[in-house]
Amino acid sequence: MEYRSQKIAYWYFAAALPLFVLQVVVGLWLAANYTFTIPQSIVNVFPFATARAFHTNLLVLWMLLGFMGGTYYIIPEETKSEIYSTGLAWFQLIALLVTGVAALVGFLFGWTQGRPLLEIPMALDFVVVIGALVFLFNVGMTMFKAKNWTAIQGTLLGGLVFLALLYLFGIPFYRNLVIDWYYWWWVIHLWVEGAWELVTASIFAFVLMKITGVDREVVEKWLYVEIGLFLFTGLAGTGHHYYWIGAPRYWLWVGGIFSALEPLPILLMVIDTMHHVKERKAKIVNPLTWTYAIGCAVMHLIGAGVWGFLHTLPQINYYTHGSQVTVSHGHLAFFGAYALLNLMTFYYAMPKLQGIAAYDDRRGRIGFWTMCSAMMIMGLTFGVAGVLQSYIERVLGMGYMVAQGYMRLWMGVTMVMGVFFLAGLLTTVVDLFTLRPAKVKA
Amino acid sequence: MTKKTAFWIFLIGTLSSAALFLGATYDTHRQVGALANVDKLSDQVVAGKRTFEKYNCNDCHTILGFGAYYAPDLTRVVQRVGEEGIRYRLKSPELAFANSPRKMPNQHLSDGEITDLVAFFRWVGEINNNDWPPQDSKKRLSRGEQMMVAKVGVSPGAAVFQTKGCMNCHSLKGTGGTFGPALDKIGAGMSAEEIEKYVKNPKSVDPNSKMPSQKDNLSGRELDEVAKFLAGLK
Repeated sequence: MEYRSQKIAYWYFAAALPLFVLQVVVGLWLAANYTFTIPQSIVNVFPFATARAFHTNLLVLWMLLGFMGGTYYIIPEETKSEIYSTGLAWFQLIALLVTGVAALVGFLFGWTQGRPLLEIPMALDFVVVIGALVFLFNVGMTMFKAKNWTAIQGTLLGGLVFLALLYLFGIPFYRNLVIDWYYWWWVIHLWVEGAWELVTASIFAFVLMKITGVDREVVEKWLYVEIGLFLFTGLAGTGHHYYWIGAPRYWLWVGGIFSALEPLPILLMVIDTMHHVKERKAKIVNPLTWTYAIGCAVMHLIGAGVWGFLHTLPQINYYTHGSQVTVSHGHLAFFGAYALLNLMTFYYAMPKLQGIAAYDDRRGRIGFWTMCSAMMIMGLTFGVAGVLQSYIERVLGMGYMVAQGYMRLWMGVTMVMGVFFLAGLLTTVVDLFTLRPAKVKA
Repeated sequence: MTKKTAFWIFLIGTLSSAALFLGATYDTHRQVGALANVDKLSDQVVAGKRTFEKYNCNDCHTILGFGAYYAPDLTRVVQRVGEEGIRYRLKSPELAFANSPRKMPNQHLSDGEITDLVAFFRWVGEINNNDWPPQDSKKRLSRGEQMMVAKVGVSPGAAVFQTKGCMNCHSLKGTGGTFGPALDKIGAGMSAEEIEKYVKNPKSVDPNSKMPSQKDNLSGRELDEVAKFLAGLK
């Protein structure tokens, strides 16, 4: 830690981690709903829909808090100045947490906008918008006052502005369901495959540069090519969501071609990471951060790149659309691209924020490998369930519940893997909060 | 490659893709009126959409393939289970899903809300969406039937039974839905002609029947085959 105001990042991370744990706990409950028959009395009070709104909103909330904390950590070092206002940063953290908690409690009482992932009621949407504006103002002012521009902070700011702007398209009520879904994807897809990727790429570039000591010139050059490809493929790639919603037929072509290219920038990211390993100049102090960086690049490629590619061709998507195949892709992609990115940032920044130069990483390693293995198996079991569903329901044309019957076993295995994942996550969270200095090797 | 070249790659890539995307967005708005029958998008349909969102239906069900994946897709639900079938499930889910391993909460909807929802589903079911989902497509299903007849070696009637949605409600040998009666012994009480008449228009035989008419769902040949198949179950 070089600047005093970086300390605020710690509280963002500390707020994000328990929310992640809660997300996984609710996820286990969702898996239990697939595996067992839940009594009607529980279903009437706490239906799957409410639990699912918890699961996905917690995902967005903890990940955004992680990105914001990461941003507050990076900005001082990039601009070589303190954050414009730590007071605003605190205000915004509390505003977001209060909104998040209010939304979750509201869901329990049926206060919802009723659109998956965008369930937050309109009144709370405005608080989120204010929080986002405060955040952008704070980050922007820090950069403008410092007058020290780097490609990393430019990308980061661009990604964050893009992210905030897109959220606006998810607020209105649309009369026409087709138009509703059309703009819904402007938030969801363009967030995940546009804005979030920009934020990720810049945070990733920053951490790589710091831990490998590779020249800024090299890192930033790669960064431009990567984000260029991310946006080139990701913007028009939104089309793969428009195949079956009642949009014109040419989206099958546009979506098919651009989505097929979407793994390219991620592949480039992996090559870039490997390239940095070879060219590294600094001695790697905390190898666990490094493991996280490579894990993130590889799981990102598998989950978002390969798994996404497998079912975005219209001919395949016709059968797999809206099945558990999508769920398999979603879990692997979010975990690989964003959960691991945030955890990598935490493992990079937390020790520095706690004044520890080199930490004992034995527990952290157990956490990493448990989570990654469990998630990989979950990706496969969701995938098997999804292929069964696509074949039985869509190809053979048998009933929905007939297909669900055959999938039940695999959802059960998923639940067991979820327990392992939770164990790995708890190990990681405890480790992050109680880092100990490494014993000096004799 | 210099950093400047890299920057230009970024800029050109992004702008070209954004131009294509925004252009297609403009054109989509132009065409959506015809594709989604906007002339039939009445206030009642919109009220139905609001009800659908009020009760957060989309966090269990998918519609046009989006939403959660916990409950059936509702894109063509009117064509699949009929308006009566929707009403029954919404009014008394605890009865409708009594024997189902998966339950639906009772949302205590008013009659007006149910009517609005049905109007909404009817409108959604008529969107021209490239013939999705495949199980409700006439074109694709006949292929599924042919496959079953050829590969699994079942009779044409059994293939129709399995692929035309009968098993959403009825079961055979313990597999299938629980809304309608199990049909393992149906042939003992009804002849093929009686079954055919019932399937074509259930209400003409039993005014209280909850089964939707299959007149438009099945072709004449399919009706004939499935009736023969069911009459043989004794």
